[in-house]
Amino acid sequence: MDITRRGFFLISTGLLSSLIIKENAHAVEGRYATLVDITRCDGCSSEQIPKCVEACREQNRKRFPEPKKPILPYWPRKTYEDWSDRRDKIDTLTPYNWIFVQKATIEGRDIFIPRRCMHCDNPPCVRGCPFGALTKRPQGNSVINEGLCFGGAKCRDVCPWHIPQRQAGVGIYLHMLPKYAGGGVMYKCDLCKDRIEKGEEPACVVACRQRLKDNAVFTFGERRDIYGLAKQRKEKEGLYLYGDIQNGGTSTLYLSKVPFEAINRALIEKKDRFKMPVDVKNKIQTTFNPIGKAVLSMGFMGMAGAIVGAIISKRVHKGGDEDVRKD
Amino acid sequence: MSGRIKRHTIIEVLEHWVMAVSGIVLLFTGLGCLPLFKRYYIAEIPGFAWTGDFNTVTTVHYTASIFFLMVVVFHIFYHSIRKEFGLLPKKGDVKNGIRVVLAMIGIGKEPPSDKYLPEQRIAYVGIGIIILLLTVTGVIKILKNLEWIVLSPICESVNTMVHTLTGFLFMIAFIVHVAIVLLFKSNWPLLKSMFTGWIDEDYARHRHSIWYEKVKGKPEDKGISEIEVKETCREGGDTCQQK
Repeated sequence: MDITRRGFFLISTGLLSSLIIKENAHAVEGRYATLVDITRCDGCSSEQIPKCVEACREQNRKRFPEPKKPILPYWPRKTYEDWSDRRDKIDTLTPYNWIFVQKATIEGRDIFIPRRCMHCDNPPCVRGCPFGALTKRPQGNSVINEGLCFGGAKCRDVCPWHIPQRQAGVGIYLHMLPKYAGGGVMYKCDLCKDRIEKGEEPACVVACRQRLKDNAVFTFGERRDIYGLAKQRKEKEGLYLYGDIQNGGTSTLYLSKVPFEAINRALIEKKDRFKMPVDVKNKIQTTFNPIGKAVLSMGFMGMAGAIVGAIISKRVHKGGDEDVRKD
Repeated sequence: MSGRIKRHTIIEVLEHWVMAVSGIVLLFTGLGCLPLFKRYYIAEIPGFAWTGDFNTVTTVHYTASIFFLMVVVFHIFYHSIRKEFGLLPKKGDVKNGIRVVLAMIGIGKEPPSDKYLPEQRIAYVGIGIIILLLTVTGVIKILKNLEWIVLSPICESVNTMVHTLTGFLFMIAFIVHVAIVLLFKSNWPLLKSMFTGWIDEDYARHRHSIWYEKVKGKPEDKGISEIEVKETCREGGDTCQQK
């Protein structure tokens, strides 16, 4: 069979696309989402440790870092990030605690907010990691590959909520130039990637439901259903919604009776490490992508300019310097 | 006093320097995209605070890539259409390239060269492959950030890693390129020609004798040389008086 140049191009493009785009890849948004209804969360006040936190720690215990000591400081700095002596700390995010229940007091009333990775639709942590250690999965979760992570903590810097946490003394950097580059491994919630790939719910979701039954804080499911449910309840019950537009959209939606502006103000006053800013722009969408379009356009302009320029210059040098130019 | 021979057209000079300047900016901001500048106090140097902010560094990186991509694409199409393949390696370039490098440090005699030195042709292909890999993986990064393509997790990781690693190779190639030009006096006339487009006739006769013969030797090529001179006069330089 004869293949024309055009046919060859089409076949090659098709083959290449099949390598790039997985059949089950849910384009941008991901398959699942979680609704976190903070109107129902009491921070497990009657329990020793919040159920979601306990379940998360139990689920991921085997993956917690075991740093090699002594840990080298991040030369030329004299510091390093080591949480290994504070493994029991459950009131904040650490490499050993990937979800925590945050408390904010607004007008004398306590509000409890389970906090973990929001799993953004266009995650700056994934797009920005220079080593490709972070990936976005078709299920919608952003996952850190502990074997590839250098612990530069760029993901924490570019995350609007500064979620990933670093542990020094572990990871691939120890085998390269541990004194001069890298800082450990970053850890955060991956939405129980192994469980959700099997069709199971994340451990925190299951644990919360076991305690609160139908009144559970977490609802996990197909993204479309979760978004529908959240918006419906927002309208019907006059609640406030968070996570649907922040950073260009996420897979985690919060419902609250109190405006999130007030919650954020309370967290700022409390000097909490983790805040809930309402106006969160996705820099990839607002800043980088318009320039990206200009880059692609100018690439085409370069091609057009080259073709026109080459034809014009050939005419100018008609019968001219072929021998010389051929070198 | 010897005359001058036109070595590069204004387009080639522009191509080189647009690529050089945008390449340097891309290298610097590329390093800034790794978490390096804050740790190594670069962001604390007056005027460099912006290097500690990933969003600013990435914005500058993206902006510089407008020029870089444009010139890479232009270079490939322009010279292919004009059938200018003088920088592609020829048989015997490895052996002769080694002789050229040895001659630079005073060992042996340099073989006669065409318009480009054999080692330049080898270096061109090396850096060309690095630049192509950087450009293709960079464009893929732009496309996936635009969400015009969706990469599988493994493809996204591999693409990112190839971009970062070839970035390091580009840095090494850049340093070697600049060092070879600056450290060896025999290469200085080439640097001058990269600014002016013109090279000393004596230099061409000695170092690029094969090319020199082509330019000067054949009767029909004398005519071409004149065309080049006139063209430059038209471009408005004083260079026509240099002939």
